[in-house]
Amino acid sequence: MSRATAPLALAELVRVDPLARGEVAVLPDPAQRVLGVELAETFDRLARTPAHSLVVLHAGAATGGWSLAAALHVAWERGAAGVVVPRAAMSGASALLARRLGTALVVVDDDAVDVALELAARTAAPESARALRVARCAEELAEQSTVRGVLGVLNAELAPGVVALVTGSSVLAGRAAAVQQREGYREVRMAVNGPGGRAWASLVASLPEATSAVAAEVEARSAESVLRLARLPLLAAWAQRRLDTSAQAEAERAAFAVLRAAARSRADGADTAPGERDAAAGPAGGAAGDEAPSWSAELGWRVEGVNRAVRLERTAAREGDDEPAAELTQLLRVQWARLRPGWPLVPHEGGWVSWQNAAEEPAPAVVRRAFAGLEPLLADHGLVMGVGAGHRGTAGLVRSVEEACLATRAGSDPVTWFEDVGVRAVLAQVSAPAVADVAALALPRLAAARDRLVLAETVAAVLDHGGSLVAASAELGVHRNTVLARTARARELGLALDDPAQRLPLHVACHGLVRAWRATGSG
Amino acid sequence: MSDGELTAADVPALTAGAMLYSPSLAPSSLAATVAWLTDLLERGGPLRLVAPRALPPDVGCAAVCVIGSGAALADLPPTGDEFVAAVRELERLSGREVGAVLPLSAATVSALVPAAVARQLGVPLIDADGMGRTFALIHHTSMHLAGLPVTPLVVAGATGESISLRVPDAWRADALLRAGIDALGGWGALAAYPSTAGELATASLPGTVSRLVEAGRVLLGTRDPDAVVARLAAVNGCRRVGRGRIVALEHLSRPTDATIPTHPSSVVVEQVGPDARQLRLELRSEVVAVFSDGSLTAAAPDLITLLDVERGVIAPLDSLWPGDLVDVLVIPAHPVWYSAEALTMVGPASHGITLDHPRRR
Repeated sequence: MSRATAPLALAELVRVDPLARGEVAVLPDPAQRVLGVELAETFDRLARTPAHSLVVLHAGAATGGWSLAAALHVAWERGAAGVVVPRAAMSGASALLARRLGTALVVVDDDAVDVALELAARTAAPESARALRVARCAEELAEQSTVRGVLGVLNAELAPGVVALVTGSSVLAGRAAAVQQREGYREVRMAVNGPGGRAWASLVASLPEATSAVAAEVEARSAESVLRLARLPLLAAWAQRRLDTSAQAEAERAAFAVLRAAARSRADGADTAPGERDAAAGPAGGAAGDEAPSWSAELGWRVEGVNRAVRLERTAAREGDDEPAAELTQLLRVQWARLRPGWPLVPHEGGWVSWQNAAEEPAPAVVRRAFAGLEPLLADHGLVMGVGAGHRGTAGLVRSVEEACLATRAGSDPVTWFEDVGVRAVLAQVSAPAVADVAALALPRLAAARDRLVLAETVAAVLDHGGSLVAASAELGVHRNTVLARTARARELGLALDDPAQRLPLHVACHGLVRAWRATGSG
Repeated sequence: MSDGELTAADVPALTAGAMLYSPSLAPSSLAATVAWLTDLLERGGPLRLVAPRALPPDVGCAAVCVIGSGAALADLPPTGDEFVAAVRELERLSGREVGAVLPLSAATVSALVPAAVARQLGVPLIDADGMGRTFALIHHTSMHLAGLPVTPLVVAGATGESISLRVPDAWRADALLRAGIDALGGWGALAAYPSTAGELATASLPGTVSRLVEAGRVLLGTRDPDAVVARLAAVNGCRRVGRGRIVALEHLSRPTDATIPTHPSSVVVEQVGPDARQLRLELRSEVVAVFSDGSLTAAAPDLITLLDVERGVIAPLDSLWPGDLVDVLVIPAHPVWYSAEALTMVGPASHGITLDHPRRR
């Protein structure tokens, strides 16, 4: 048997017309070979069906009810490859029976005689049927605009085999079973190159072992043809997805900027004194006095009611840094959407902003719970998070975002709540890089010390606790004597902790230095 | 029933047996006929039930039955004299007095009416019939197979009108009658097969009336489905093809057959237990075939019926519902129905099922 005449498998035959126009009701063994086609109009004819033929029921043998059940039984007795039945004769119970007998059953709408003639032509020229299948597959692939869609076509086309798109050891899309070594299955792999010919990913198909060497070669060849065809639609869909995500993120960034500017100009227009700005928005329950623009709803945002904002920032980010990479934004948006569905994630001033929206301010315990469980995400991407207080309306959202930003800068934990920071928020206004620069001049010996970060942290803690060594040691988690030794060394390096005139600037400087040195990792 | 007598006390068992042999009918549609027969037997005393051979061979006989729709009979109850009038007219046409009557088919309402007619006429009821169950057409009888003519016949209606008919070919009788019966109100009292006791001794199926009473007693005696099947086996050779749940009712799934006035449909039962198979019951006005995983297991003239397992009663075909647990029972017909000629007339092919009968393979 040459390659060109290797008989078609049922799985191949149902992918081309006329069966592709029909519906596969039961396909227990897609690898079943089809050696011929029988048009059966009587049960006498059915009883003479040669093994491995596909039986097309017609006239008296296709009146429905008992006739299909009886035909399935005869087909099973005769070892037929399957039964093709006109839709009028089909029923759910017959599909159940076909499944029980392990007989393939395909339902067609076209005239049975025409179907049988077409099928005879297909089985007589297997290679031309295979070419038709590839052509049909190409059409279907061309219609797909998503990676998921392309993988869906491949998985349907190569069933019962499974297909996945992988890069390295990660499955990007498709069925993960494709990369597992399974008994009785073999792997066909096709590299997918990105723009510029660089290797980007691979398509991996896990196909059932063929019954013969010729069949194996034929199947591998048609699987490769199909996978090859899928490469371009895949790349296009992938690029489109990246483009769409980036465009959406940019649109949201701009929209948020507009929202913020509008809220601010309204507050300025109200002629409030410095320090009272946004107070009109008030805490939760205060008069909002503004309305959300209609386009915010089009973005899927909700800003009516009480908003509690979150600021995400990279630990290592410095003020004035460029915006984070678009890929990181994409990744975060996907993960964020999974963890906190309904919360937007908008790139904003070197970090990201999100918010929880509720009709009324929830109870404090409920609020805290809503923000729990985000630590692993923060740790994975080296992020810190600040949480603002809850405020009403658009102006309230803008205010909550500012509070969240302050909390991020004032805090030293992965998650800092503005409500916990209190007046220490003022320190967030201290420019850490500027402090570091001044400290190099004002405290040159400290700046040059190897243990400068530990010393600055210790002095800041002692001053935070009004000079109490016990309280500072508890906060730092070290022995009191250690704190004593470190303050003594700090004094040697020129830090005058006991001088009332120097205490405030020293306190501010230490907080600034800690933040700057932590951020740069230069402690 | 004792020593060839049918009493009012036997009527419930006769009715239950009559339902077993024609499960397409709802029991409520028999109520008026049951009350009529019970009243006649209570007032007139027991009825003689005799084997054809027990009568002098030259006694004139006639087969009687209800022709048309049982439901129409419930809607338009008999005035009571239709059957007597039909027999009297038949006597006039055949020139022979009727000294005994027999059921054309001992099943459904047509098992009860001949007893009432015999009581009214004051003649014995012959313990035999022409079908041993029901078939669709009036020439589907052992008398016809034996060469007895179906006509002259008379059909009398509740309207006081009657139709008499004489045909050279028996199979034309039903076709000619059908429109007339519609005009009579949907049913009629049929008296046909004018014959002698001697002719019936070889041409009819003996013992079928008393068998109904015996089967009826089994059904009334227990609600345990296993006991019902075991006891029926002793009475009429009943066997269980399988027990399962109804999973589908397929109505009007196919083009109708022009010769038999009914709609083809199917009931699909998934057998329970380790050897679970799919049983497909083909319905016309009765269950005409059972396929087990697509293989023809039983077919007309076998009598196929369903037993409601949870209630222990025969399930009328119009009461079936997906989810019901049923036993599929098969009762063999009289051996005369398995000859090639009879199978052509009433076998699976007569219902459009072009397969060999399982007993002929």
